[in-house]
Amino acid sequence: MGRIKRKGEAGNAKNYITRTQAVKKLQISLPDFRKLCIWKGIFPREPRNRKKASKSSTASTTFYYAKDIQFLLHEPLLQKFREQKALEKKISKALGRGDVGDASRLERNAARPEKTGKPRYTLDNVIRDRYPTFVDALRDLDDCLSMLFLFANLPSTSTVPAKMIARCERLCLEFQHYLIVSQSLRKSFLSIKGIYYQANIQGEDILWLVPYKFNQRVVGDVDFRIMGTFVEFYMTLLGFVNFRLYTSAGLKYPPKFDENKDNEAAELGAFKLEGNHAAITSDEPAQLTGGESVAQPDPKTQAEVNKLIRQMKDAAVEGEQTEAAPETDETTDTIDKFEPAAPGGDILPQPSSLGSEPGSLFANCTFYLSRETPRQSLEFILRAFGCKRIGWDSVLGEGAYTTNERDPSITHQIVDRPIVQAATEEDGDGEDNQTSQKLASNQRIPGRIYIQPQWVWDSINDEELKRPDEYAPGAQLPPHLSPFVQNTQGAYDPTLPLKDQEPEGEALDDSDEADEEEADEDEADDSFAVKKPKAAADGMDVDASDDEEDEADDTFGGFSEGERSGEEEEEEEEDEDDDEELRNQQELEAELSGKPVKQTKVDARSQKLEAKKKLAQKAKEEAEEIERAKGMLSKKKRKLFEQMQYTNNKKSAEDQKLREKRRKLEKQKARAKA
Amino acid sequence: MGSAKANLKRKASIIEANDATANAQAAQDSDFEDFGGGILNAVLDDEDSEDDSDFLGEEGDDLDDEEETESEDDIESEDIPTDDEGEEIKSAITNGINPNKDEDADDRPNYRIEKDANGGVRYVYDEIDPVYDSDDTDAQGPTNTIGNIPLSFYDSYPHIGYDINGKRILRPATGEALDSLLDSIELPEGWTGLTDPETGKPLNLSRDELELLRRVQMKEVPEEGYDMYPDTVEWYTSHVEQFPLSAAPEPKRRFVPSKHEAKRVMKLVKAIREGRILPYKPPEEREKEQEEEEEVHYDLWADETPRPPNVMHIPAPKLAPPGYDLSYNPPPEYLPTNAERKAWEETDPEEREKTYLPQKYDSLRRTPAYDEFVKERFDRCLDLYLAPRVRKNRLNIDPTSLLPKLPRPEELRPFPTVASIEFAGHEGRVRSVAIDSSGQWLASGGDDGTVRVWGLSDGKQQWRAKLSSEDPVDVVRWRPGQDGLILSAAVGEDIYLMIPSTVNPELEQASRTILDAGFGYASNAKQQTTTTGARKDPPAKWARPGARLEDEGVLLKATVRSPIKTINWHRRGDFFCTVSPTGQRSAVAIHILSKHLTQIPFRKLPGGAPQTASFHPSRPLFFVATQRTIRCYDLQRQELVKTIQPGCRWISSFDIHPGGDHLIAGSYDRRLLWHDLEMSARPYKTLRFHEQAIRSVKFHPGSYPLFADCSDDGSLQIFHSKVVNDLMEGPTITPVKMLSGHRVVNRLGVTDVAWHPHHPWIASAGADGTCRLWT
Repeated sequence: MGRIKRKGEAGNAKNYITRTQAVKKLQISLPDFRKLCIWKGIFPREPRNRKKASKSSTASTTFYYAKDIQFLLHEPLLQKFREQKALEKKISKALGRGDVGDASRLERNAARPEKTGKPRYTLDNVIRDRYPTFVDALRDLDDCLSMLFLFANLPSTSTVPAKMIARCERLCLEFQHYLIVSQSLRKSFLSIKGIYYQANIQGEDILWLVPYKFNQRVVGDVDFRIMGTFVEFYMTLLGFVNFRLYTSAGLKYPPKFDENKDNEAAELGAFKLEGNHAAITSDEPAQLTGGESVAQPDPKTQAEVNKLIRQMKDAAVEGEQTEAAPETDETTDTIDKFEPAAPGGDILPQPSSLGSEPGSLFANCTFYLSRETPRQSLEFILRAFGCKRIGWDSVLGEGAYTTNERDPSITHQIVDRPIVQAATEEDGDGEDNQTSQKLASNQRIPGRIYIQPQWVWDSINDEELKRPDEYAPGAQLPPHLSPFVQNTQGAYDPTLPLKDQEPEGEALDDSDEADEEEADEDEADDSFAVKKPKAAADGMDVDASDDEEDEADDTFGGFSEGERSGEEEEEEEEDEDDDEELRNQQELEAELSGKPVKQTKVDARSQKLEAKKKLAQKAKEEAEEIERAKGMLSKKKRKLFEQMQYTNNKKSAEDQKLREKRRKLEKQKARAKA
Repeated sequence: MGSAKANLKRKASIIEANDATANAQAAQDSDFEDFGGGILNAVLDDEDSEDDSDFLGEEGDDLDDEEETESEDDIESEDIPTDDEGEEIKSAITNGINPNKDEDADDRPNYRIEKDANGGVRYVYDEIDPVYDSDDTDAQGPTNTIGNIPLSFYDSYPHIGYDINGKRILRPATGEALDSLLDSIELPEGWTGLTDPETGKPLNLSRDELELLRRVQMKEVPEEGYDMYPDTVEWYTSHVEQFPLSAAPEPKRRFVPSKHEAKRVMKLVKAIREGRILPYKPPEEREKEQEEEEEVHYDLWADETPRPPNVMHIPAPKLAPPGYDLSYNPPPEYLPTNAERKAWEETDPEEREKTYLPQKYDSLRRTPAYDEFVKERFDRCLDLYLAPRVRKNRLNIDPTSLLPKLPRPEELRPFPTVASIEFAGHEGRVRSVAIDSSGQWLASGGDDGTVRVWGLSDGKQQWRAKLSSEDPVDVVRWRPGQDGLILSAAVGEDIYLMIPSTVNPELEQASRTILDAGFGYASNAKQQTTTTGARKDPPAKWARPGARLEDEGVLLKATVRSPIKTINWHRRGDFFCTVSPTGQRSAVAIHILSKHLTQIPFRKLPGGAPQTASFHPSRPLFFVATQRTIRCYDLQRQELVKTIQPGCRWISSFDIHPGGDHLIAGSYDRRLLWHDLEMSARPYKTLRFHEQAIRSVKFHPGSYPLFADCSDDGSLQIFHSKVVNDLMEGPTITPVKMLSGHRVVNRLGVTDVAWHPHHPWIASAGADGTCRLWT
């Protein structure tokens, strides 16, 4: 026999320590501890046995894993914190002595040198420590991006210095540039909270949220010091991630940043990407200013010249291609297609590179953004999906492909304003082109597609250009659906027609309801809370089954099937009686009022009632079956089962509600049509 | 102004010059000075200058320069016409209206012209008598001759008031056109444009007066040149002492370079060398430098090595992606109804299921900013570093897969449901019941010491034998096998083997041969001796029971050492075991029918008194139940295989599943325990459906997956048990039926049960003296 184990020397009691203990052990202040936890990714735990971990003290505390704290003890940052504390003490002492000069010297020195000054720390090691591989870092990028994009849009205050905001903005724009270059943006979604983006980098799905470009309201007590700590970490992280991404894409990091352009709100345009090696050239489109396009000579001759040039070029390229063709075949690093040589083998799936390329969805389009559209998001998305030529109103900032609304190369114009009158200008490219740069509102230029912004989002989510007529300015937009929802079996899916997804019983209910509605049409209002007459009967059923449950739970009573089925039958008979009574009542009423009895309806109704009854019977049997099986489960499993059933029922109830609403809406629509 | 200054200077010079003796000249001078109005200034000036020059000439050349400058000043002042003329006019006026002066004084000059020593003209002024009325500028001034009446009263007269002689004082020439013209052409010195309300004359102010006014107005010291903060005159320190006050020698530190200073300098030098003190840079430049330093980027993951995930690390859960209802333009069914909206608004923000309400905006430009954005991000931050994390295994399965696959009630059938036949005849309790392997006969034994055989189909008693008059029949068992019809019964220490006389004589004959076969072996049996050489008592004595019983069909009797409670046959019908709980070492005995031999396999059985024993239905295993455990022995190797611990207090009976892998045990503490022999020593299921002790448990020996138990509460319970050969899936046990009908007598209900070998029928023996067949 081993040594007697004493209480509190192993297990939960040893593995977890409270926050106070941790802070004491590390000998730092609580804010420093918080900082350290945020940066090092240390989080409290819920011990498996709280009582053992707290050694029977009942005070509610948070617990940390003891080894985490042990790990923090060796953190170099800890030393820096201590140095910082010492410096602060020195300064406060100097101030207390009234030695302002000394204090200021300390403070000043704090900014730089190695020996006396403020401990300069970097979070490089922390990041390396937390994310041993690059993929790990990518996996954790969701919160980082959401946070930095938020801070990039915040106004600067004393707690959020302008420098921080500027840095956030830069990092975000650099990241966006990478997404554009690598074409790794996959989906985006306009929500009421902001715009969600999803990118796929090295197989990792990254989802982040960007607020709409408005001044952010800060409600409730928000501690910007905590957020600032996070942001500090995230900024360093995104810096390194950007570096890695840029270098992996063969670009130089940091990209060239043009402050003048940035001051003119060029945003993405303020950066100029450069290849790591001179070979890679930035694929900035040749800037065609509006003036040049206007100054074009006779279009016919130009076209002819172009044609000639093209012919010449084609010839040259063909010649080259014929020569270079075999070489290129050898050196491609695309995946080869494996064809089965003999039948009978398994087929292995391969990623299809030739299929729909999401990055070139808008490659052939030229967009023009009206001044009421959100330029930043649109520009980013359009660029990320291959669009090279995006023009916008000069109000929206610098960096547009063209600011001339009449540029003939524009194929799509994104408009988000109501139609006052649909007036197309008859003399499209008249000589007033040069004089008036801007069109009057609601004027249309023929030969281009006018769409609302949602078109862009729906197109990229479905990876195809949607029909523009549904998104025409002023049109009733189709619902914007989240591309992130994975439809599970049985859950409500708004894209499918209602008939495909409603269970039998509901359909019956529905028709029943419809009848009732027809019967009393004055009830047609938009409140969905329709009380079902069935509810009472349901209640009865539930009660009965409850009783049965009790019986089954308490004692095993064998199978008193005879009795039970008898009861049920009685109930059903009662139901039927009720129905009959109701019918009689109706007939009587009809007689009194002198109307003919709705005979046909009653027939149909009785059929439905029968069907319904059958369904109810079936459901009841199933429920009984489940109840019986549940009796055989152990207590633990039964609880688990009940929990699961509870959540499932909740979900299905929500779905049912949605279906109900939709049914109602569809009915209303049908009625409005009729 | 310039002239006034000159006068002052002159005065100063005079003071300096004639410091010692104040002569009359000086007094005169000062008088002139004090004359205020400066009568005949120009004249005086000339005269003075002459005077001075004379005087000074006598005194010395020192002040020549001054004199010259003065004269120059005068000349300059002469150039400016306004000054003196104004004065003159004024003086004229004052003279005119001065009542104190005599007419003589007006008429003739108050000086005499004499000839001095040089023959030049000399003005000799009259002596001024310094009386009260003397011609003093102090007493001079505008005098009111009209009394306290407004001047306007004289507007219509050419004069204003009267002098002391009653003569009219003529109005000054203000009104005259020429004067006014002149006035308008050139403004006199000190002209203010005001009229003296007392005299009616224009009020002119001199420069000095104006200056004075200005000073007063500006709150300066009225006197010019007054120094409010004069330099202190240091009377003592300014004197350089000729001789030292102390005779101590000068200390060395006065002329040796300072060590302290050197130290400080060295400190600075060191700091500079070490780079602690840097040349000054403007803060902007410094910041820029710092920024550059900060933004150092390199490939952090250049040599990345994947680390196996730490077991204790729980990554933060990602935020759920947005659903349809978060869209700015969701499908209309996702929008909340009025009731839902109200309910949402009324619930506490903490308790809301969703933090937002779905909203629909018909175009993107109408979509506003989300109010809670910062707050939500902040909450997420808090969650990331403050929320305790627990790893929770979420079962993403269909809950119905948790449910055991229960056979449907139809599949469970058939099972016994009603008591079809009641076998009544025993007096007192029926202790045991058995159905033979052909399924035709039911044997029962009871307190009355009889063994009875009943026809199972008709319920009629076919045969009976009274084995004992005082001891009850504890147990009856049929020998398994179709080759004979042999019944065994235990009464006290005796085991009786009998052949009930039935219709079939052939079968009876076959049975007799089986029973008699052992008599040949009996003599061959080795004589067992103890260590001392004395003959040892054999474990059992096999003999004929006696003529009376032999006639009834009881053919063989074996007597063991202690009263027997249970008999169990081996499936082949050659061996049977008996258990007598009180029989210490010889409690369990195995009997061989073909040899009429009895063995006692266990010297000693741990775990209390044995209760019952049984053979494994297919393998050479032997199970012995003691009070608390069931022990399984290998008969061939003669060793303990395993010990099963049902965990009950007192096992009453057990039975082994015909498949051989499962075992049920009933206990007096009301439990029915199902054991999976392959799995564990602990029960797989514990069933507690009885209110009283369980007396007997039995598996259906045939093809029906049923088992039953009986209890002192007078009921039988029938269970359905589906045993699958799959190791992954445990057997499913379903309670199916509760059969009650036996009366409870003396707190004893049903004492024994026996299954029909082919049908789902069960026979039970009750304490009420009846047996029942349930079909």
